[in-house]
Formats: sequence, structure tokens, C-alpha cells
Amino acid sequence: MSGCPGSRTIDFSEKTNQEGSETGKRPSQLRQWPIQMHLVSPHAPYFQGKDILLAADCTAFALGDFHKDYLKGKSIGIACPKLDSDQEVYVEKIKSLIDDAKINTLTVIIMQVPCCFGLAQIAKEGAEKASRKIPVKQVVVGLEGNILSEEWI
Amino acid sequence: MDNVLNKEIKEIIEACPEVGRILDEYGIGCVPCSVGSCLLKDVVGIHNLDPEREATLMYRIEKAIYPDRDVPKPVVDATKKAAPKKISYSPPVKKLVDEHVLIKRLLALIPTIVDYIESSLNVDKDLILRCVDFIRTYADKYHHMKEEDILFKYVDENAEIIQIMYKDHDTGRDHIRQVVEGAEKGNKAQIREHLLGYRELLTQHIKKEDEILYPWIDRQLSTTQVGEMFRRCNEADASVGDELPRKYEKFIAELEEKFLQEVTK
Repeated sequence: MSGCPGSRTIDFSEKTNQEGSETGKRPSQLRQWPIQMHLVSPHAPYFQGKDILLAADCTAFALGDFHKDYLKGKSIGIACPKLDSDQEVYVEKIKSLIDDAKINTLTVIIMQVPCCFGLAQIAKEGAEKASRKIPVKQVVVGLEGNILSEEWI
Repeated sequence: MDNVLNKEIKEIIEACPEVGRILDEYGIGCVPCSVGSCLLKDVVGIHNLDPEREATLMYRIEKAIYPDRDVPKPVVDATKKAAPKKISYSPPVKKLVDEHVLIKRLLALIPTIVDYIESSLNVDKDLILRCVDFIRTYADKYHHMKEEDILFKYVDENAEIIQIMYKDHDTGRDHIRQVVEGAEKGNKAQIREHLLGYRELLTQHIKKEDEILYPWIDRQLSTTQVGEMFRRCNEADASVGDELPRKYEKFIAELEEKFLQEVTK
């Protein structure tokens, strides 16, 4: 059980606690393309004045109701703070989203593994460099898709 | 029990004082409330107790009102004290909580100021009017107006708790009018009565807001509303300029320095 918690092998395929309904189709709440932080432009119309979700890549797979509970009503940028290169670009894009796109709020959703907190740090740096101030929220997702914390930072 | 849930809390406590004592145990201080027109169901709901504590509270209230009734006991440990919840405010609400701190610093000085006025040969009218200026400009115009013009608009303004807040603001303004009149007339007793009255009122008012009202409002706000309220509060602050809060922070610091010296003389 040693090594990086972000890449440690854990198998919870035997998990039996599977509450919830599998009936009915859930529509996608995605309202834009592209979504990867290197590909999006802060000047895209879908960012102007909106609530933004900055999501670590893995969160959409870990959270069963990612679309319904977090993506709905927001525009999104996704990134991996462990594997992506040139992350200083992300800081500048967040600054531009705040100052130029005049976004309303920024919600950063990350996994509980330590390396994922790098994305929250990127969001904080971008927000601190911006001249406008906006509310920034951090949501931490557990490996089994539970919400560990949700707070304004 | 449903008919009791829809009764005003004051009426329930008058008929059964034990309910007031039970609520007090749960940190719900309805007994000294001057209005008491909140419905029992709203009183319990607004305090956001965890489900176990709420079930135990409702059981105890029902047993207190109907001692002979066979009420099923909730399967929880009634003596278990839940850990106090850490209050986490949204950024615009946190700003309002932070503004309370400066107001509370003046409230803390009021007994010393009142003693100083009583022991002085002449009423220090300038000192009183400077305190009144802080209260009217910082506490009322700068702070209370953001509550009344922005924050309260995000919830049902007819809710009892909001009506109580409006009433507190008006009562506070009445106290301050009386303080000014006392200063004009040189009436020390009038100044004392209404400065201390204002202190008592605002102390309870701020406690209610920090611990009950603001968290209740925050729980109802969507992310979009938090962002919108943050912007509107910032615009309201910008309209009066950065200098205003700085001026009153300096005033309170000077007042503290002056009266710390008075106390240590």
C-alpha cells in the first residue's frame, strides 16, 4: 500500500452498497465544446457571465450524478493537475475567465488524492491574479464517488 | 402534533413553559424573543438540527404538551450531545459576518462610554455624536442596508425571522434617535438607557444573524445566486468607496485606545 495515492491500485468492484435508481434516461447537461482547458478559449460565448465548473478529469467518472448535481447550469473546463503539461496556461485562462469573460462563480471539483489539490491551487492562483473578485468553491470527491467536502474558499 | 407545529411559538411556550426550556437545551432561544410569532415547525426547521436531534426534540416537545399521549420514542440516544456544526458562510455572507466584528467592538465599549459620560461634569456631546455617526453610517447605512436591499431579497421577506430582523433595525434606529435627543438635552439618564438598550438589542441581533439567519439563507442560495449577491454587495460597497470602512475602523481603534486608558486610570 505504498506509493502515490493518485495511482495506487484499489479494487472496489465488490462494493454492494448500490443505492439509487437505474431506471430512466438521463440527458447530458453538457452545453459546449471543447471542454479541455488547453482547448477552450476564455472568450468563447458559453463562458460569458456564467458559473464555471473546473473539473479534474477523474471526477466525472467517480461521481454517479456528475451531470445532474454539478454540471447542470454551468460551463466547464476539465484538466488533470498530475499529468497535463504547461499548467501555467491554466492559471492565465482562469484569470481571463474572471476578468474578461466576467464569469459569475468558479467551482473546482477534484478527487481526494493529494495531487488533485494542485487544480484547486491553480484556480486560487488564477483568482488571485485577476482584478475582479468572484466566489470560488471547492468540492472534493472520494474515490468511491462520495462527496467529502463542499465549501467556499 | 400537526396543529401544534402550525402554532406560534410564543403561544405554545405560554401554555407549556417546559417547551421553552427544552428548546433552550437545543440552543433555540425563543423564550426571550420579543415577537415570538414564528411557527414551531419553522423554528425547528431554521436551526438545521441533525435528524436524530430533531426527532428527539420533537418527541420531547410532544410529550411536554401531551404528557398522557402514547408518543413513540425515537430510537436515538437522547443524552448524546452532537458536536457543534462548523458554520461555513458563502463569500458575500462572510463579508457581512466580518462587518459585525467592527460593530461588536463598539458594542463592547458602550458600558465604559456610559460610565464615562455619567462620571463627567458635562455630557461629551461630540463623543456621543461620533458614536452615533458610526452607528448610523457604518452599522446602518453601510451594513444593514446591504441586508435589507440585497440579502433579504433572496428569501421570503414575509418570513417571521426576516420581519424580526426588520423590527430590530427599526428599534435600533429608535434607540439612536433617543440617544441624540439625550445628547442635545444633556440628559445622561436618557443617553444611558438607550445606548445600553441599543447594545443589548444589537448583541442579540448579531448573534441571531451569525448563528441562525445567515446559515439559513446560505442553505437556500444556489451557486448562481451566491455569485450574483457577491457582485451586488461589491457594487454597493464601491458606491460608498473604500475610504468609508477604513475611516470607521480607525474611529473604533481610537475609541478603544481612549477608553482602555480610561479603564486603566
